[in-house]
Amino acid sequence: CHTSGMLTPNGKEYAQKIPREELTHLILKLLQAWKEPLSNFNQHHQELPDDSLSKAKQISNMVHELKAGVEKSMGIISNSLNGLTSSEAGGLSISNEANMMSDSDFLHCFRRDSNKVQSYLKILKCRIMPENSC
Amino acid sequence: GQSYPGKPKIVRCRSLEKETFSCWWKPGSDGGIPTNYTLFYSKDSEENIYECPDYRTSGSNSCYFDKNHTNPWTIYNITVMAMNDIGSNSSDPLLVDATSIVQPDAPVNLSLETKTSDNTMYLWAKWSPPPLADASSNSHVYHYELQLKPEEKEEWETISVGVQTQYKVSRLQAGVTYVVQVRCMLDLGEWSEWSTEQTIQIPSEWSPPAKPTIIKCRSPEKETFTCWWKPGSEGGHPTNYTLLYTKEGEEQVYECPDYRTAGPNSCYFDKKHTSFWTIYNITVRATNEMGSNISDPHYVDVTYIVQPDPPVNVTLELKKPMNRKPYLVLTWSPPPLADVRSGWLTLEYELRLKPEEGEEWETIFVGQQTQYKMFSLNPGKKYIVQIHCKPDHHGSWSEWSSEKYIQIPTEFRVKDMIVWIVVGVLSSLICLIMSWTMVLKGYRMIAFILPPVPGPKIKGIDTHLLETGKSEELLSALGCHGFPPTSDCEELLIEYLEVEDSEDQQLMPSHGNGHPSKHTKMIPKETDSDSGRGSCDSPSLLSEKCRECRSLLSTLQTKDISDVQENKGGKRSWETQCIASEQKILLCNNESTKSSTWPTAQLPNNQPPMFAYHSTVDAQKITLITTNVNTAPVLVENEEEHQYPTTETVHNNMENQREMENLRSKSDQTTMQVKLSRPNDKSPFLNPKVMDYVEVHKVRHEEPAVLLKHKENCGKTKKYTVPGTSKEYTKVSTVVDHNILVLMPDTCIQHTSVSQEPAMETSTNLQQGQAEKNKSYCLTAPSECKKETNGSEYMDPSSFLPSFK
Repeated sequence: CHTSGMLTPNGKEYAQKIPREELTHLILKLLQAWKEPLSNFNQHHQELPDDSLSKAKQISNMVHELKAGVEKSMGIISNSLNGLTSSEAGGLSISNEANMMSDSDFLHCFRRDSNKVQSYLKILKCRIMPENSC
Repeated sequence: GQSYPGKPKIVRCRSLEKETFSCWWKPGSDGGIPTNYTLFYSKDSEENIYECPDYRTSGSNSCYFDKNHTNPWTIYNITVMAMNDIGSNSSDPLLVDATSIVQPDAPVNLSLETKTSDNTMYLWAKWSPPPLADASSNSHVYHYELQLKPEEKEEWETISVGVQTQYKVSRLQAGVTYVVQVRCMLDLGEWSEWSTEQTIQIPSEWSPPAKPTIIKCRSPEKETFTCWWKPGSEGGHPTNYTLLYTKEGEEQVYECPDYRTAGPNSCYFDKKHTSFWTIYNITVRATNEMGSNISDPHYVDVTYIVQPDPPVNVTLELKKPMNRKPYLVLTWSPPPLADVRSGWLTLEYELRLKPEEGEEWETIFVGQQTQYKMFSLNPGKKYIVQIHCKPDHHGSWSEWSSEKYIQIPTEFRVKDMIVWIVVGVLSSLICLIMSWTMVLKGYRMIAFILPPVPGPKIKGIDTHLLETGKSEELLSALGCHGFPPTSDCEELLIEYLEVEDSEDQQLMPSHGNGHPSKHTKMIPKETDSDSGRGSCDSPSLLSEKCRECRSLLSTLQTKDISDVQENKGGKRSWETQCIASEQKILLCNNESTKSSTWPTAQLPNNQPPMFAYHSTVDAQKITLITTNVNTAPVLVENEEEHQYPTTETVHNNMENQREMENLRSKSDQTTMQVKLSRPNDKSPFLNPKVMDYVEVHKVRHEEPAVLLKHKENCGKTKKYTVPGTSKEYTKVSTVVDHNILVLMPDTCIQHTSVSQEPAMETSTNLQQGQAEKNKSYCLTAPSECKKETNGSEYMDPSSFLPSFK
């Protein structure tokens, strides 16, 4: 996976130990890393049946919205300058790598990373707002 | 029969060890009597004959030669003789050489064992020589032979053993069951029988172990996980299992950190060894003495193999809010290991429910909440409920929690019972009352509710025509033309209102039947006298008439009289209503001083009177009403509390247009101007085309006659009379030629005098029995009943006028 290079906590304890901001950054980084590959995927795979295609588009939109939502809720304005450059630089190589992946790998990596993001977000949520079903 | 014995036969002679031998014979036929057997023998060529020394040792029909009697290298000549009382018989002689008949018994105590030596496995067979009666002679040397085969096979493999009583067999197949037998032989003679079979299975530890398989890996709380494997089918002797794994992206191979915690054939990875979002490559190796075998690799990402424990602490609480049905709240807790608080693991719950005796479960998805409210359970029934959970993303459902029983207490609310009891009692009371009234007044009730429709009974009228014909035909038959009223009838239309001061009043044109309302009273009025009123229409006449009725009227005064008086136009019509016998009486009352002229007389156009017939053929009464358009006279109808035909006073033509319409419409409703047979019904009964009219009140059953405004004696209850009508009516006796009314001869004359009283009576009756619908009122009958034929086919009641004078 193109995101394998990122250092992400691999377990509950590690995830809980990380301070909030770092975790948030991590989440955003992950989300950012998938923006381009997803759009590329959608572009290159026009031959898919319509419902799959629409689903894929829907997912990329969701990723985008999720990123925006996290940014907003965490009070982060945008990718902010420090993040931007690194993500830009990393983004290119990452997207190159992503292009080389096979479809099944692509999906597998995406599934895993989305699971990661979900778990981190949940931990964040229960840290910030413990009363709601936590 | 008895005879000498049959010939015996020597079966065999045998020696076990060369030193003794036995002979057996088979007896011949019995001969019927006890037979004695004797064995004689001789040796070699000697002539001495000896008898068997021992008949017992070897069993029945045998002879045993012990050591002393046995000489090897000697030929014995043996004969058996059977003897009985009758005769004897002897067998053929048998030459026996002691040495040649040697056959030992089979060896005994065969035992088998498998042994391993030098990494080879062999079968070790052991046995013992056949036992001898004479244990001392152990010097015999037996030769042995062994045969074996795999159990399923047919062919034996024979192995010559020699003189030893054991043997080791190699080259055996692992895992096969073998069958082994052994026999022996002395140096001379024959082989013994084969010993009994012995079987043995060769264990399969010969081969390396079979391939194990990894069954599954599970994580109960998304922090640790366990893997289980299954050994191969051929479980040889001590096999060692080792689990090895590698992680994604790493090359190093690790071994299972913990083989014990999760039980046999399992491996438990604790928190330290569990990484998420990495794929583990897990294999199991089985090792034994012969070799090892490795399972197929199993790839696992812990994130996707989460299967929690079932929820715990399932509790039920019955809540009874006010004003609402009680409901049940089911609560539970997530399994203890799952860390839901930190959000690391989010669980979704699902519960299933079924009545205790039911077959199918009803599954309800609950979501992430840990409680559930149940509203729809039946009280009194017992339910079983179970809950299970799964992670909200990837993962599998846990096992179902243990069964929880629910029973809703039946709430037998006293209030409900009371309500039901009251309802039951009331309804039964009502039923009783209804049935009682039915019994008592059944017929009348029915008639009250559904009054029979009277049919016209006019002699000479074609009843069939009445039944089927249209109004036009009927009326034409009777000589009426132009009915229902057409537009040029407007002038003729006399509408009259029957005004009552009771609640039963109806305003004819504006209401349907049965709507009591105030009617404008018909005001008799002296109208223009230019109308050609009949004599009976003269106001004076009417007034006279009215006087009689005034007493009746007295009770009935409408408020609106004055109004009506002012407004009235020239037309009045009045109808009489003939109602079914029990019912009302139509009273037309001439109200006050005003007498209404007989409208018929006033018809300017000489139009034929309109006859109103009851639309139904069987109307018992027919009321004919002709409206006199231009007549001033107002027929004031006596109001009664009961039903009156409502009539409208049409004040003038113009005014009455509307009313005409109404009337017309009303009349349209019936084929003829109908006197509604309905009780309480003052049907608008307007016949705008009335010229003269004959009011037919009733057709008496007995006589197919149209009773025109006939005042009859009150004695007949079924008469409708319009008391106070100052009209003259003539009873029509018959209708001739379908258009001629034949009036009755004046039988009614005598009534006139009587009319007064009945009028009085009726008035009193009226006063008395207002509520009674069954009153009948008498009308003063026209004194004259005349037969009159009229070219215009109507009755001119004026002819009757004299009677009123």
